[in-house]
Amino acid sequence: MDLPTVEELAGQLAAVSGAENVDVDAPLLQLADVDSLDLMEWLYGFQNKYPDVPADESLFKDIDDTTTLRAVHEKLMALAPAAARS
Amino acid sequence: MSGFDIAGWGISVPERVLSSVEIAERLGVDEDWIVSRCGIRERRIVGPGQTTASLAIEAGARALEKAGLTGADIAHLIVATATPEQLSPATSAFVHHGLGIAGSAHDVNAECSGFVYALMTAAAWMAIDPRPCLIIGSDTHSLTVDPNDRDLSILVGDGAGAVVLTPSPDTWIRAWNLGADGSKHDSLKVVAGGSRMPTTAETVEQGLHYAKINGNEIYLNAVRFSVRTIRATLEQAKVGVDDLDHVVPHQANIRIINSILSHTGVAPEKLVTNLDRYGNTASASIPIALAEALDAGRIADGDLVLLAGFGAGMTWGSILLQWGGVTDES
Repeated sequence: MDLPTVEELAGQLAAVSGAENVDVDAPLLQLADVDSLDLMEWLYGFQNKYPDVPADESLFKDIDDTTTLRAVHEKLMALAPAAARS
Repeated sequence: MSGFDIAGWGISVPERVLSSVEIAERLGVDEDWIVSRCGIRERRIVGPGQTTASLAIEAGARALEKAGLTGADIAHLIVATATPEQLSPATSAFVHHGLGIAGSAHDVNAECSGFVYALMTAAAWMAIDPRPCLIIGSDTHSLTVDPNDRDLSILVGDGAGAVVLTPSPDTWIRAWNLGADGSKHDSLKVVAGGSRMPTTAETVEQGLHYAKINGNEIYLNAVRFSVRTIRATLEQAKVGVDDLDHVVPHQANIRIINSILSHTGVAPEKLVTNLDRYGNTASASIPIALAEALDAGRIADGDLVLLAGFGAGMTWGSILLQWGGVTDES
């Protein structure tokens, strides 16, 4: 099982939110057309696709003005079982 | 199993309209921010003298009139509400008195799933005691929300919806599924005023009688549990989503509803919604939407109608009705 790359993750979030461009290094809270409900909709899709990865809404609990999608991706990688990262 | 007809229906919504423009001005945001976030342009808010029970009585009276019955004909009354008239006795006591109900009465609090729970309770009741039941969903959440709470104040509206069930040889319920996950009781809550935290000057001062929501958790679990309960009900009935004629979901937030439709594969044209006009009326949202669809002539005999709710607790439930009933032989 391959987890999405950070670029794939950006593409998924763009598809959910309708945002034209999701910069993986821009603060999430500053992304135009992306809000917390978009993040939850993306997360629901991720949970269905990767049920073995214990990602829940706490993934975004401490989100602040500096949190980027790349940082979220790193958290996901840390959560994933070793098998999922291979 | 004995069945039931839905012989009457009625709604009651306050006259006072609270627009998203007014709320936007108060919160210092744009109306578009509210509308795009939840799909609500306006909602109805109770005025002086209007309460959960008064709305319930109005809706119940209209449902009884349409059914050609009076309170004296009703063997049992169930009021679904999460914003009761007072802490005790149950809101159904006030409604029982107001409508002159002859039979028994009790409340159901399954939050926004309350009407679905109440309908299943009544159906089970009528299977062993086939006499008319009156079911009412009524809530006044505007009275429990901090007006400066951006997450909740944009969502809630007040109202009541009622249906009268009369005994029938046919079964209207094709399938159903109810569930709850009490571990998520913190997702949406009013913490003070009950036995766990009795009312004190401090609880009032700290605003602990206002509802608080963990929006992300509610969103995620609302979609998750609604998708599961709808799939389970359709599977039990052995019908596919394409067989459905109408889906009447809890009117919580248009983005949650659209997500549920998308993940279950329900075609958007089957959705019954009035969210833009009433907001989230909690226990009342499904019966209000159902009654409006019936008044508009949208639902015909033989149609498959799916009711689906989710609420704080968390609770969820769905019921598949075949309008006009279905006999065992059909």
